[in-house]
This record gives sequence, C-alpha cells and structure tokens, in this order.
Amino acid sequence: MQGTNAHWWFVGPALFLMVVILLMPIGIATGLSFTSYSLGNPGADFVGLENYEKIFTRSTYEKMFGATFRYVFVVVPLSVGLGLGAALLINSTRRLGDLYKTIYFLPVMAALIAMAIVWEFAFHPTIGIVNSTLERGCGTFLESWSWYANGCERGFPLWLTDRNYAIWTVAFIGIWQGFGFNMVLYLAGLTSVPRELYHAAEMDGAQTAWDRFWLVTWPMLGPTTVFVVTISFIRSFQVFDTVEAFYPQGGGPSKSVYVMMFAIYEKAIQQNLMGIGAAITVVFLAFVMFLTLVQRWLIERRVHYS
Amino acid sequence: MTSISLSAIEKSFGNTPVLNGIDLDITDGEFLTLVGPSGCGKSTLLRILAGLEMPDQGSVTINGLTVNNVRPANRNLAMVFQSYALYPHLSVAQNMMTPLRLRDLSFAGRLPFLGPVVARERYREMSAQVGETARVLKIDHLLDRKPGQLSGGQRQRAALGRAMVRKPVAFLMDEPLSNLDAALRIHMRSELAELHRSLKTTFVYVTHDQAEALTMSDRMAVMMEGQILQLGSPEKIYNDPMDIRVAEFVGAPKINLLPGTLDEAGHVRCGGMVLSRITSNETVGSITLGLRPEHLALCEQGALESLTGQVVHKENLGADIYLHVSVLDAAHRIVLRATPDEGTSVSIGQTVHFKRLCGHAMVFGKDGGRLGLSNAAHESVAEVA
Amino acid sequence: MSETALQGTPSVSLASFRFSTAETVKHVVLILGSLIVLLPFYVMVSYSFKSPAEIMQNTGGFFGAQELFRDDYCIKLGRDIADCMVTPIIYNYTTAFEKAPLLRYLVNGLVVTVSIFVIQVLVALPCAYALAKLRFWGREAVFGLVLFCLLIPVHAIALPLYIMLAKVGLTNSYAALVVPWTISVFGIFLMRQFFMTVPDDLIDAARMDGMSEFSIIWNVMLPTAVPALLAFAIFSVVAHWNDYFWPRIVITGDRSLFTPPLGLREFKGDADGDNFGPMMATATIIVAPLIVAFLIAQRRFIEGITLSGMK
Repeated sequence: MQGTNAHWWFVGPALFLMVVILLMPIGIATGLSFTSYSLGNPGADFVGLENYEKIFTRSTYEKMFGATFRYVFVVVPLSVGLGLGAALLINSTRRLGDLYKTIYFLPVMAALIAMAIVWEFAFHPTIGIVNSTLERGCGTFLESWSWYANGCERGFPLWLTDRNYAIWTVAFIGIWQGFGFNMVLYLAGLTSVPRELYHAAEMDGAQTAWDRFWLVTWPMLGPTTVFVVTISFIRSFQVFDTVEAFYPQGGGPSKSVYVMMFAIYEKAIQQNLMGIGAAITVVFLAFVMFLTLVQRWLIERRVHYS
Repeated sequence: MTSISLSAIEKSFGNTPVLNGIDLDITDGEFLTLVGPSGCGKSTLLRILAGLEMPDQGSVTINGLTVNNVRPANRNLAMVFQSYALYPHLSVAQNMMTPLRLRDLSFAGRLPFLGPVVARERYREMSAQVGETARVLKIDHLLDRKPGQLSGGQRQRAALGRAMVRKPVAFLMDEPLSNLDAALRIHMRSELAELHRSLKTTFVYVTHDQAEALTMSDRMAVMMEGQILQLGSPEKIYNDPMDIRVAEFVGAPKINLLPGTLDEAGHVRCGGMVLSRITSNETVGSITLGLRPEHLALCEQGALESLTGQVVHKENLGADIYLHVSVLDAAHRIVLRATPDEGTSVSIGQTVHFKRLCGHAMVFGKDGGRLGLSNAAHESVAEVA
Repeated sequence: MSETALQGTPSVSLASFRFSTAETVKHVVLILGSLIVLLPFYVMVSYSFKSPAEIMQNTGGFFGAQELFRDDYCIKLGRDIADCMVTPIIYNYTTAFEKAPLLRYLVNGLVVTVSIFVIQVLVALPCAYALAKLRFWGREAVFGLVLFCLLIPVHAIALPLYIMLAKVGLTNSYAALVVPWTISVFGIFLMRQFFMTVPDDLIDAARMDGMSEFSIIWNVMLPTAVPALLAFAIFSVVAHWNDYFWPRIVITGDRSLFTPPLGLREFKGDADGDNFGPMMATATIIVAPLIVAFLIAQRRFIEGITLSGMK
C-alpha cells in the first residue's frame, strides 16, 4: 500500500488533535504568561516578565512553592517507600497476599474527591473517628509520649484547620491514596526478578534478607523504582482534589496548603487573572517535563542492564 | 578429606513424588554426573544437596556433619546455574567478588563506598584473587564488562569464575552447558574436565545429555522417575547397563531392542539368532534382546545366524555410516554401524545381511532387569566365533 | 579449610521460618496497614447507614440502630409527624437521590467516560497502526511528537484549554468535558507498542485477501488488540470517572451537566448536620461502581491501571 495516502488519514486526526489540544495550549500559556490577560476583557497588556517576577518574589507564591514542595517531598518518598515495603511484605508472606493487595489498591480506585470528604469527617475535631480513637488511648502507656499526653490534656489537633498540621494531614491522604498504586508496580517488578538470582545469592553467602535485598532485589527493581518515583512526583505535583475539598477558598490555614494546581485554579478561574495563572502553568510544566526527562535519561543510562 | 553423602532422600512437590529414597555417596575429588531425562529429579537432588530445597525425608551429610538444617550459604558449596544467574547490575569482577565479600567481610566492610575504605587490605586481596581466577579462565580482559555485554560462552566462564574464586567443598553444576551452541558445548566439555583435573575438587554435575555424562565423569548416576537406576563409571554404564532404561538412555544412536524368547535350556532366541551364552534365569518366555549399533556387522548372505532386512535410511557421519534396517517382517527397525568402505556401496531399499559380534548382546527380562549370561562350556564349541 | 568453614556456621533451619515470629510480625504490620487503608471506607459506609444523631454522638456501631427518627424537612412540608418517621438507611439513600439529581450525575458520568474512551480509540488506533506498520515520510517525526506529548499532563494545561473552550463558547457543555481528552498520546503509544508485536505476515496476508488498509485496522488489528484495549479501557474509565479537576473548571453552575464528583462536591457545599448521612450515601454510590467492578475483575483492573508502567 506504499504510495497511497492512507496513512495521512490514519495519522491526521491524531496529529491535528495533538497539535490543537496539547501543543497549542503550551504556546498560549507561554504567550499569556507575559500579559495581564483576563477573560471577557477585549485586550490584554504586555507586561513582560512581571508575572514571573511576582511568582518568584511575592510571599503568596513563596507559600505556594513551600506547600507544593513540602507536599511532594513528603508524599513521594513515603508513598514509594510504603509501596515497596508493602510489596516486599506481601511477596514474602505465604498467605493472604492477594487480600492485602486488594485492600491496599482500593484507595486507587475510589474517587479522591469522595474519599477526601470522608477523611474530612474522620478528622473532624468532635465527631471524627480519628480523634475519638486517639482519646481512647488516653490514660494508657501512650501518655508517656509527650505529644500524646499533651493531646489528652488540651485536646488533639484540629488536623485540617491547624496550620501546623494541615499540610501534613493532606500529605497523609495523598500517601494513603497513592502507595497502593506503587505497591502494585513493585509487585509486578518483583515477579520479573529471576528466582535463580536469589539462589545464586544464597549460594554466594547472602544469609540475611538484608544482604539479599541489597544484592538482588533493590538493583533488579531499579527500572521500576525510577518509574515509580517519577510517576509519584507527577501525580503529587498535580494534587488538587483534596485541597479544593477541604479549603475551597484560599488554600488552607495561612495558605499552608496552597499547592500549585490550586493556585492556578484560584488565580485563573476564580479570580480571572489569566496572566499569572498562565505563568504558574508554565513553571509547573517546566517542573513536570524536567522530571520526566530525567526519568527517561536515567532509564536509558543507568538502570538498563542488558 | 571431604565426602558428601545423601541418604534416603525423599521429596515430593504437592502430590507428585519427585525423589523416592535416593542414596548417594560422593567421594572427594570425583566428577560425579547425575544424568537422566527431564523430570527425573536430578536437578531437585542437586538443589537438595545445595540446600535450596528441603528434603521431605532423609539426610545430607558433608564431612560427616548433617547439614539438613544448615543454610545454603553455610554449606560452603559453589553452584553454577543453567541461566548462569549473574547479577546483571554488577561487572564481571564485582560478580566474582560477591561470594568473597559476603563471606569474608564484616558488616562494615560490606557497606557501599565506606566498605572499601574500612577494609582496604581485604579488598586488595580479594581483587587479587578475582584477577587470578579470571586469568585461569581467560576472562581477565572482560572484568569490567557487565554480563549483558558478554556472549553466552563468556557468561558461562564468568559464572564459573564466581564459583571458583573461593575454595568450596564441591562445585555443583546444573546443566551449565545447555545454553551454549553445539560447537562451544563440545569444547567446554573438555575444558571443564581439565578444570576438574587441575582443581582436584569434587564436581557434581547435572545434565540431561548422556554424551556429556559419558565424556566428563568419573562416575555417573543414571536417574529416572526419582530413582538412581545405576551408578558407576561411564564404561560400566555403557557396556554393562543393569536396566533396559539405562541401556536405552545411554548411547547414541540408541541401543537396538529386539523381542526374543527364552527356552528351558536358557537359550535366547531372536529371529534366526540363538545366543551361545545361556542364562541361569528360569523364567521361560519373552525377553528383550539389546544390541548396540557397533556390535552388529554386515555379512554375506547365508552367514550363520545372520539377520536380513531392508535398508530404509542411511546416516553418513563421515567416519561412520549408520544404516537403518527394517527387520523381522518390517516390524522392527534397527541401526547398525558400518565403516565408510562398507556403507557407501549400500543403497536405500537394498536388502542387507548382518550378524552380531559375539559376547556383546544384552538380555533384559520382562521387568526390564538385566539377565546375566554365562558361557556354558559344552555350548561354546558349537558357536561360530 | 573447608571443615572450619562448616563447623563455624550456626544451624539455621529454613523450615523453622514457616511459623516463626517473623511471619507473625509481617501479618501484624500488614493488618495494621489494612485497617488504616480501610478506615475511610468504613466511615463512609457506616455513616451512610446512620441517623444524624448517631453520627453526631458517634454511637450505633457499624450499622446504626436503625431506629426511626423524625425527618424535619418532611415536617416543614406540613405533613403528619407519623408519616415523617423514617429509617436512617432508607432516609439517607432516598435523600441522596431526591435532594440532588444524583441519577442524572451518574448518567452524565457514564456518557462522558464512555464517549471519551470511544473517541480515544477511534483516534488512537489508526494512528498507532500507521506508526507501527506503515512506512511513510515523516513517520519518525510523528512518533517523536507522540513521545514529546507523553511529557504533558493534560491537567497542567487546563488553563489555556479552558480559555480556548471559552473563546469558542463551549464551556458548560458535554463537549467541554470530553474534548480535551479525545487525544490520548498514551493510548497511541501503547497501541503502537502492541501492534509492533503483530507479525507483518498477518497484515500482508490480509492485503493479499484484498482488504483495504482501513478494513485491516478494524477487522484484523482491532480483534488482536482486544486485551490491550481492555486494559486501556479500564485505565481510561477509572481516570475520567474519578476526575474532579477538569469538570470543576469547565462546568460552572449548570447542574444538569454535573459529573458524579461535582455532584458530591455540590452536596458538601450546602450540607448541614442533618445531611451527613445522605452525603455519605452519595459518596458510597459514586465510589461503588468502580470498587465493585474492581473486586469482580481484580486482575484485569490492576493490569489496566498499571499499564502506564509500560512506558
């Protein structure tokens, strides 16, 4: 069929949509980020780098980066670590492995917005199950932990409205939601580790699980880890549902949970400040693309063994 | 002196019995081959010896010490795996150093980055050991490569190197040559045998290839259905198989089996042949007669006790020509070896006559067991040699 | 030397690990983890069964006592008190459907996810086929573009997309919910990788039989790609059924276009103490379809969701 033009009929629609839906917006965002455009206004003024200057100097955006990075750098290591830990534990038990796998994967399937609302209930200071459970521990050995004793005396934290706790609580929900996904990827990675390597390690004198892990499991999971870390980064950078559900206005106590996706939403959609929203979009895209490129580079360079 | 012995080993996977009461003593320094068709339990036996599987029954002793409860890492055995099982992220040198690192270094010495500094002296010794072994195996120029960058034969050597770098009680090899191409496999046979001679360490070698077993071993154990059918030197196994299954398994082309009968006097009859030697066994009835291709020879028509058949296929191997002949009213086919001189003149479809070389025929009873033959004094006179 | 090596070793039994403390500790850890993971699901389902009083006082166990209670809204409508006594579970679930057009939301969700998937396949399949099996000028460039577009998360470019849709007047429409997702570069990439494994001979045979390129795609390639398509379907449906960010941006106010997550959010916005039960019932209804489907076909779901691991 060479020589016909069939292929352009096949590739054409996809190509058109790729350009219009994926590439054009990047151009538009970049263009708008240099203006003070807002929807409904006939024109827009060119403001040069003003929007970017704001992003990198104003305290609101400092809080935005702070909240985003705090969230990302808590959620990524913990959800990857817990995912790996759960996968290793499940892989090494003889029974009930499938049951645990199913349970840990449930949060991945559930709509995050729904679960966020439920968590809000669970964290409710008076009727929430979390604090009422914690109160039951009062008067036991747990009180020897000063934080716990303090909680018993003056009441446990208002998890979602205390600015010292808010971001960590939101991050906790992010970990809760994401680690099952990582676990499943790690389980898939583990099944592809040749059994003979463990036997070889055993013969070579790797007696402890620790030795075997560092000699075989961890290096063999290298490609999986690179992928899991990248996808966790990208997913946690995009956190929005929980933040919007808990703090529809303003990004939490003292803007402590003012993450980037929420900032874009607030500035551009709620306040119709398209210029600054576009600038945040561009910065955001730069982060995400940089991470993905690092991943591809790593995959090709280091962790590709054969 | 190290000796290894396995006694009354039983193992089953689920309801499938794999090993049924294996007893095996391995003497120090010998090259012992476990050979048998796939699924006979030979690999399982090796892995029980290695400690990678637990026997359901029976015990494994090394140097008089029962090691059933000793982990593989502590049995001081080295193993070469069928897939080589090299660590793909480590260079050849690091692969070879792994057993030394894990055995000889303290926890601190094994730490990444810090380890080489803490135990600098040991690291130098270990590198020297690795270099030495690599030179013996002629892979010293490959030490910095990753296994992914090596050819099959080079990986094979690297895996051997990892096993050889320390001084184990014995080397266990699980079909180490099966992933190599034919030419390299034959070359490696002699190299492994030489290696064994120079190391003087016990080799326990598992293979499904009877040729490997015959060419390399000091002793070989033919296994089938979870049992050792016969244990002995390759010559003994080939020339004097105690079971029809051993006789069939060892030797290529396969031994020819023909149906025969045993009369009251102890004579074995098959077609026009009557064996001169007689058996003392009293079970009269049908038996199986085994004749190896090289124990048959073409002869003139009408020669005494000859068989007649039609050539259906001719295999020319250069040095020998194997003729496939259908005999006994085309009900059986036998293979006989002919020299090139004799063979070239024979064409397919032609009728040929051949006879056995006396003294080599084997007789197996109904149960597959070998029936002993002996020369009866008065009968041997009648026999034409 | 070998003797000493053997004698110095502790005798550790492999078999003795079978019922060891290590195994117990593992299960304790895994069970604790399961409890934390299941906690919100427990809260959600339990609250959807309970009366407002039970929720407020944290009593009633998992199912609640299911005692009749007075529906104040019903009283307000001027009905008799006796008619307004309701069982909590029935009240919660009926209110979920009555107070907001939940059924409409569910239908919207279904329409949107299904149309997104169908269009994605219609666009991606021919493109993937051409990239995998046809040789044409510019093929490498197109594939390069696909690889580049894999870098772009659609959520991240939501703002310019929103502006574009607003400019053509498409916000607050089904089109707004579907259009940005019609192109799945991931789908193209995935299908292409899959088609690469289909032997060329199969396609050549189809050509010899007189099939057009177009019918090859639908009659030869599509059937072979069913397993991959199924996995991709799960991937796509789960993502878009649960998506909240994008509908939140393009659908403002028009309830008849709400997807389930938006409906739930709306419910939360005007929830007071009495409505916690119905709200949890709504959440349960929204989460249930995927969870139930997942429990029925776990392996397929896990395969589909982890598909992105193939990148």
